Amino acid sequence: MAKKIRLGALTEIPAGIWNSIFRNSLPSSDLGRAQTSFTNFFLHIHPVKVHRHTIKPWYTMGLGLITFFLFVILVITGVLVMFYYVPSTTQAYDRMLDLRSSVAFGTFLRNMHRWAAHGMVAFVFLHMCRVFFTGSYKKPREFNWVIGIVLFLLTLFSSFTGYLLPWDQLAFWAITVGASIAGYAPFIGEQVRFLLLGDSTVGQEALLRFYVLHVAVLPIVVTLLVSIHFWRIRKDGGLSRPEDVTPVDVTPVDVTPVTTTQPGSTTKRHYGIQGLVRGPFTTVGNVPDNSVFSWPNLFMAELFVLVLTIAGVCVLSLFFNAPLEEPVNITHPPNPAKAPWYFLGLQELVSYSAFWGGVGIPTMQVLLLLLAPYIDRNPKGVGRWFAGERLLANTLFLIFVIVNLVLIVIGTFFRGPNWEFVSPW
Amino acid sequence: MRLALAIASFVILIVHGIIFYDQFFHKWESYQTSYFQQALSLAKTDAERAAVEGRSPKIEQIIVTSFGETRVDRCSTCHIGIDDPRFRDAGHPLQSHPFSEAMGDRQVEGKWVRRHKFNDFGCTVCHDGQGRGLESKYAHGQDHFWPDPLLGSRLIDWRADYKPKLVSADFMQANCTLCHTGENFTGTPQVSLGRKLFFGKNCYGCHKIDGLSNGTLGPDLSEAGKKFKIDYLWESIVEPRANSAVSFMPKFTLTDEEVKALTIFLKSRRGMNFSETSLDRYRATLTLGKVGEEALTNVMAAPGSPISGSKLTGQMTGQMTGQMTGQMTGATAGEQLVQNKACLACHKLGKSDGGIAPDLSFEGLMREEPWMMAHFRSPRSRISDSIMPSFGFTDAEYEAMTGYLTSLKTPPSLATPAETFTNLCARCHGDKGDGRGLISTYLDPFPRDLTKIGFMNSKPIERYIASIQNGVQGTSMPGWGKMLNEGQIRGLLDYVQTAFVREPRRTLKDRRIPESNPVADSLDSVNRGEVTFLQRCTGCHGKKGDGKGPNSLDIQPRPRNLRNHDFLNSISDRRLFESLLYGVQGTAMPSWIDYGLTEKEVGDLVNYLRSFDKGHK
Repeated sequence: MAKKIRLGALTEIPAGIWNSIFRNSLPSSDLGRAQTSFTNFFLHIHPVKVHRHTIKPWYTMGLGLITFFLFVILVITGVLVMFYYVPSTTQAYDRMLDLRSSVAFGTFLRNMHRWAAHGMVAFVFLHMCRVFFTGSYKKPREFNWVIGIVLFLLTLFSSFTGYLLPWDQLAFWAITVGASIAGYAPFIGEQVRFLLLGDSTVGQEALLRFYVLHVAVLPIVVTLLVSIHFWRIRKDGGLSRPEDVTPVDVTPVDVTPVTTTQPGSTTKRHYGIQGLVRGPFTTVGNVPDNSVFSWPNLFMAELFVLVLTIAGVCVLSLFFNAPLEEPVNITHPPNPAKAPWYFLGLQELVSYSAFWGGVGIPTMQVLLLLLAPYIDRNPKGVGRWFAGERLLANTLFLIFVIVNLVLIVIGTFFRGPNWEFVSPW
Repeated sequence: MRLALAIASFVILIVHGIIFYDQFFHKWESYQTSYFQQALSLAKTDAERAAVEGRSPKIEQIIVTSFGETRVDRCSTCHIGIDDPRFRDAGHPLQSHPFSEAMGDRQVEGKWVRRHKFNDFGCTVCHDGQGRGLESKYAHGQDHFWPDPLLGSRLIDWRADYKPKLVSADFMQANCTLCHTGENFTGTPQVSLGRKLFFGKNCYGCHKIDGLSNGTLGPDLSEAGKKFKIDYLWESIVEPRANSAVSFMPKFTLTDEEVKALTIFLKSRRGMNFSETSLDRYRATLTLGKVGEEALTNVMAAPGSPISGSKLTGQMTGQMTGQMTGQMTGATAGEQLVQNKACLACHKLGKSDGGIAPDLSFEGLMREEPWMMAHFRSPRSRISDSIMPSFGFTDAEYEAMTGYLTSLKTPPSLATPAETFTNLCARCHGDKGDGRGLISTYLDPFPRDLTKIGFMNSKPIERYIASIQNGVQGTSMPGWGKMLNEGQIRGLLDYVQTAFVREPRRTLKDRRIPESNPVADSLDSVNRGEVTFLQRCTGCHGKKGDGKGPNSLDIQPRPRNLRNHDFLNSISDRRLFESLLYGVQGTAMPSWIDYGLTEKEVGDLVNYLRSFDKGHK
């Protein structure tokens, strides 16, 4: 008898383990849906229910999420690549060669890290454009915009610090150029450059500094700010959207409609501190609204973005190898020596005026971006792409985007030896 | 959406499949498997068989520590049969390395013993290529970025016309030299020949190589072999301007064999050699004073015959050096020096012609001794844009050479004006008189284009006579007064007029030109002149007045270098005024009266130009 009981207990062990990890079975009811997203560590950062507008695919296009997933890919591949890397001028390049030739999956790993890094710079910029063109930085989301800009700069800096690590000609001269752009700042320029490089030229000190920044300091700061960025989304009332015109939007949003009424929830409920959460989304009670359950609507969309991101990075990494140029040769600069592509707009400007291109204009641009939500106090036009009420703001921003892109394109494709104009054809 | 999700997931799966396949089915593994199978079938004894059976594919590597920076050579991962004599005819990559007595391999009791053991030397020390690579593209250095591709093999992106010339085992001699630095090491005939050519073709005059030469006009080549691949070196020798648009290095007449030897010699210049200590290296930089002697013992140039290392026998060298040290003065010594210092790599003398610099055959009739000595010591002190390097020989040597050159006083045949032109003028001014003579590209200022009617018909004939008689100071135009009397010069000018200008000489209009500068030379005047100069003249003549302004490249003849003091000092104020006020017809110099310059402003300008030589600007 006792034996039988023990056996029965044994057969329950797998289920016990499973249930201890996942507190709920796959949800079939609204209560289950709510519980699933509420009790899972990775899902609980989402609200149980989100507004229909939030999951319209063409509204956000998943740009912020793609950026985040690229960051996750970067952290994972970065840690793996770290196992093989030594931040030493005598070893770094050899390690790259080993990574390419004899480390299992080394090439693929480096490719993923490289393309994800470039992708992150691109997508964080696109995400910023999306937020601006939909007017999503307006009250109460001003500060989250500021954090976003800081994250954008940190992304650039992370990518820039990582650029040096292969210690090949491309890396060395790009950083030499990039660091000299920093040196153009008045009064403090030279000091900043020295602080960055730890020396008057790019060398062992610079490599070590860039390495520490790249693998420790910047990822930690970025992780922290990303957390705040996400947290603020919820605290600021979810993703931006236009004011609801009618209390209930009956047109379905390409998702399975779900009911919001829960059986047996007629009893009066007490609300604690959550009731104080700011924003228009905190509806209390069982009033019908425009929300849908995060599970599965939101999570499915996010999964889709995740899979798409991974697929994109994988395909890129399969077909295109991350560049590895000659070993560093300090006496033999390439002509032209170019900074990483995202700084080529600056380099192009620097070719006209060192101060304005390297310091004046970029500083002004960053300041304007940071202050944008405080300057633009027009409350209208939130939650729609290119809202008519925001014609001026959107036009200005569009000009900013186009000018920067054109400069980058010129710097990348149209500049040859001695920074002279060449045709790429 | 679910379908899209499924497709994207499938893509990820496929990519991972490919990556895993790549990872677990390396090419080198199949090479090794095939080697094991063949070795097993070739095995004759049980011990041999057991040795093979115990092996499974793995990355093989040799770590080389004795030669420069530590190298990791994984070549034997694919070339696994490299030291297995049974695989002599197996074909690549399993084929074993051939034995060669030239390389020092010996037969002991019927078995070959290698002189350069792979365990000590690895592979890349001799062959170049990238030891760490495991794919042939990377390992053989065929990756565009790898600086040391396998020597003697070709790269895809090399120029098609050079590619076949770069394929040869001879190129590996460049790497032998990294240890076998001996000057006439028998294993490296190409390097020795290249070294002789380096002196024989006068490369040493412009280029520096630590411990060998001290030229300053061209780039330092001490590490040329480290910086450049052989295709680049070849191209730079054959077409100096291919890799640097501003290079003024002449195109020397070299056979393919000679270019190859030079390329190999340059490829062997990799800075510090394995066999050197840094102290040796430092000493080498201190021995530069001996360059002259080095050149003497190395160079062997018989007039009219191409330089050839094989002709240099020990006996001849002995004779030559004996002569050199025995009698350093007198025309014979000078003649020997001119021959042996490789002057004729550029200059013409008798039948031998380098095709780059002026004819020295009758130098005694063209230049005076003091001029020649000054020019030897520093060519640019006499012709300010000359490309001739200052060689840094001893004064005794210069005197001997000057003595010899000034003794050359036999004029060529000058029977008719046409013949005179061919023999004296055509080398620079060209057979057609258009200034495009054989050596014109190496002259600055460029020889006058005698077909330009605008110029030829705008100056009084006395000026042309003076130019021919006395030469043009500061340029390569020598005075011909000792060879031609005024009648002959007039005859020559008439010939030029009919043959090239093809228009009768015009009578010139009178121009109002001051005989001397009416504006007194003062600091104020010079400063005003500078302001005008910066506003009006810099586009062509450049900010420094050296004739290298932004527009200068599009202008023929090139704007005058106004810092050419010899030239400027030989020109009267009147001529400066004329050129400034009325322009120079047939050139890009406009008439500045038309652009509103007054005589006073021109006077300031003249004072400014004159101030260059006085040193206060």
